[in-house]
Amino acid sequence: MLAALLVSLKVVGVATLVIAVFGTLLALLLARGRFPGRTLLELLLTLPLVLPPTVVGFFLLYLLGRGSPLREWLGLDLLFTWQGAAVAASLVGLPLMLQSARAAIAAVDPELEDAARTLGRSEPEVLLRVTLPLAHRGILAGLFLGTARALGEFGATLMVAGNIPGRTRTLPMVVYDAALSGDLATAAQVSLLLSGIAFLALAITRRLEQPSRR
Amino acid sequence: MRRGLALLLLLVPLAACSGGGPEATPQQPVVLVSAAANLADVLPPLLESFRQRTGIPAQVNYGNTAQLAAQIERGAPVDLFLAADRQHVEQLARKGLVLADTLCVYARGKLVLWARPGSGLGLRSLEDLASPRVGRIAIANPDQAPYGAAARQALQRLGLWEALQPRIVIAENIQQALQYARSGNVDVAFTALSLVIDEDGERLEVPSRLYDPIEQALAVVKGSPREAAARRLADFLVGPESAAAWQRYGYERAGEGGR
Repeated sequence: MLAALLVSLKVVGVATLVIAVFGTLLALLLARGRFPGRTLLELLLTLPLVLPPTVVGFFLLYLLGRGSPLREWLGLDLLFTWQGAAVAASLVGLPLMLQSARAAIAAVDPELEDAARTLGRSEPEVLLRVTLPLAHRGILAGLFLGTARALGEFGATLMVAGNIPGRTRTLPMVVYDAALSGDLATAAQVSLLLSGIAFLALAITRRLEQPSRR
Repeated sequence: MRRGLALLLLLVPLAACSGGGPEATPQQPVVLVSAAANLADVLPPLLESFRQRTGIPAQVNYGNTAQLAAQIERGAPVDLFLAADRQHVEQLARKGLVLADTLCVYARGKLVLWARPGSGLGLRSLEDLASPRVGRIAIANPDQAPYGAAARQALQRLGLWEALQPRIVIAENIQQALQYARSGNVDVAFTALSLVIDEDGERLEVPSRLYDPIEQALAVVKGSPREAAARRLADFLVGPESAAAWQRYGYERAGEGGR
């Protein structure tokens, strides 16, 4: 179980980083960008939220597996590695981040950004000093939700990374194996742990979403 | 809150760097085995005795046979495939993805009917399932799981399949079917003898004439960098050294002509 905890921490650590960076950039693009295909991009990125994880895993298996142009191009073999699990976890966590961060960025008053521009601030400065600080609660709320979802990822991870103890076996897989083999004590322990973390993440999200009292 | 983000960003690389784990010090090639989930009990002791004999350690990726085959097809770095049936291994062999000369049946599964302790059903034969005393019956998905297909075949041969339809519950696999019966959500489950061999409860072995043999086949994956070690493990698993373990866990040995 300790080994699975470590694998889960590695996977979620990388997924959080990916979700934070790509989530923020994509949310900016979706909230502020005007380009053809924007809605299509948004729908595609949101798909993993509603697709069965096994379908996401199936796509990823083909995307990262033998004969895939992406794999040739990257020169990376991610199947059956914890990094592959991190890709799956990021992909299913990203939509939750996007929903929240995009709404928060869209809610930032453009007049404030314009005011900063008239005061001679460059675009990157406007972004870092006005837009992102004003939207930070929504962005963080999305990040916590996305991370919590990444921690709970099971179906897609199983397809892409397998279930190898000490290498790719994550906490949700421990629950699955334990429940099926009748080891209900272990299943209950890990389930409680995961529920506790998820509850905490939701509570933090909730706090962040409440209007600031300042 | 900004401090919260800073903390999070600080923790992330730390968690990512703590990697390495057991695979980081490879004195020996670690053979990676993709194995059908019904082997979860029998395989660990066998792999341990293989490691003691040869010094070659093995790691196992347990899963559903169809999913494991799909992973091998996409190039997952698996060395040895232990399936729950023959068909999936033969398909991979036809596609040239496993070494055809290593393909063989390593064990035959036995189908049993199982009820939890104290159920008081007193099952003597499969025909007792028709009795109104027996409520719901779990079987593994007969279109995907070999034990599910065997259960359907047995009930069909006895002419019970149609009549029992309203009471049959389809589980994803034999472990889940068993779990339904353990938890009391169904009265009886068709499962593998290997899964209940050490478990209390009522057990009725389904006569082997009622279903086609459940042959579990193995093969070494083509292109494996650890092919020699994987071949040795395959030989060990079908060899006389492991016969006792297979029997102990409720499998029948593969026939003489198996290899």
